[in-house]
Amino acid sequence: MEPAANDDAHLVQETLAGSQVSFQLLVERYETRLFALARHYTRSQVEVEDIVQDSFLKAYRRLASFDHRSSFYTWLYRITVNTILDSLKRKGRSPVTSVEDPELLAQPAPVEGFAPSGNLEREEVAEVTRKVLEELPEIFRTVLILRELEGLAYQEIADTLGISIGTVESRLFRARGRFKEKLLALFPEFGEH
Amino acid sequence: MSDCERIRPLVPGYLDGELSEEQASPLRKHLLDCRACRTATQGEKALRGWFVAGEVIAPPAGFAAHVARRAFAGDRGERAPADPVGDPRSQGAVLNFVLAATAAAAVLVLLLAGGIGGVGLPTEGGLRADDVAPVTEAEVLRNLERLNRDAVGEADLVRPDPGSGRE
Ligand SMILES: [Zn+2]
Repeated sequence: MEPAANDDAHLVQETLAGSQVSFQLLVERYETRLFALARHYTRSQVEVEDIVQDSFLKAYRRLASFDHRSSFYTWLYRITVNTILDSLKRKGRSPVTSVEDPELLAQPAPVEGFAPSGNLEREEVAEVTRKVLEELPEIFRTVLILRELEGLAYQEIADTLGISIGTVESRLFRARGRFKEKLLALFPEFGEH
Repeated sequence: MSDCERIRPLVPGYLDGELSEEQASPLRKHLLDCRACRTATQGEKALRGWFVAGEVIAPPAGFAAHVARRAFAGDRGERAPADPVGDPRSQGAVLNFVLAATAAAAVLVLLLAGGIGGVGLPTEGGLRADDVAPVTEAEVLRNLERLNRDAVGEADLVRPDPGSGRE
């Protein structure tokens, strides 16, 4: 079936056929989302721009290998997440911050959550979120970012990270448990009432 | 296995909108009858209130055109930030950073560039890597900075290709 004139598949084809304008349209379509994604990992505008630019350049270079099995943007997310993790690694943050594989650690206590107090401004909560996420092993941070901040469905997360839906579920479960533990460790004042 | 034991693992998927109606319907029914599972579900839901994204950063004007131009010019995009002490441009320390690393080169190039007015620092991060010969002091600094960054990132050129190819 012929792709519609303006959909991703068509723009990918046109780009591969040498259309710079088509690639520019793809960048325009997804730049805001990739800026938001990279922004969850760094507060530096310059770093965000570098990461997104590198991600698009890598995507262009391997466009011929995009097989349309997943959507173009989960493919793009995947490249961007890897670019981010490479960049963090170079800055000395290891993707899995302990000797043990977090997937193999004991199950955390079940999540009995608690909501942020109504007295906190949105930006204050965002700052807490950022600080807690920063303390988590990378695989937990990333799955929470994709689900909770980017709102990706399980299948999209699975496509982005190249893992099964079952792994997405179990990783999210552990990640939420760890998030709560870390939240209470960093901010005991937010403990359950 | 009790109803509760069967229901609890489904709660996150339920709150994430990932359950089919056949899965969600008995769960809802159980929640009506079971206070413990209801409390657990409310707790799980409350925790999600902590996931709030920070302020967004908008792409600078002309970003897409710039990236497309670079892509078609054969830029390989292997220069993600590698500066371990943070980004000097965002801390207003461009001059120190650049001059400390390449003082001799800077002086030489500035002399060659000759008689140019006040130091203009590059602030438009996304559009800094033009491929033209340096003609202003700002552009000289910009290009020196790029050389620095390339030197820092040199090790990356020999590592296996990152990106999507991790399957
Ligand atoms: Zn129950």
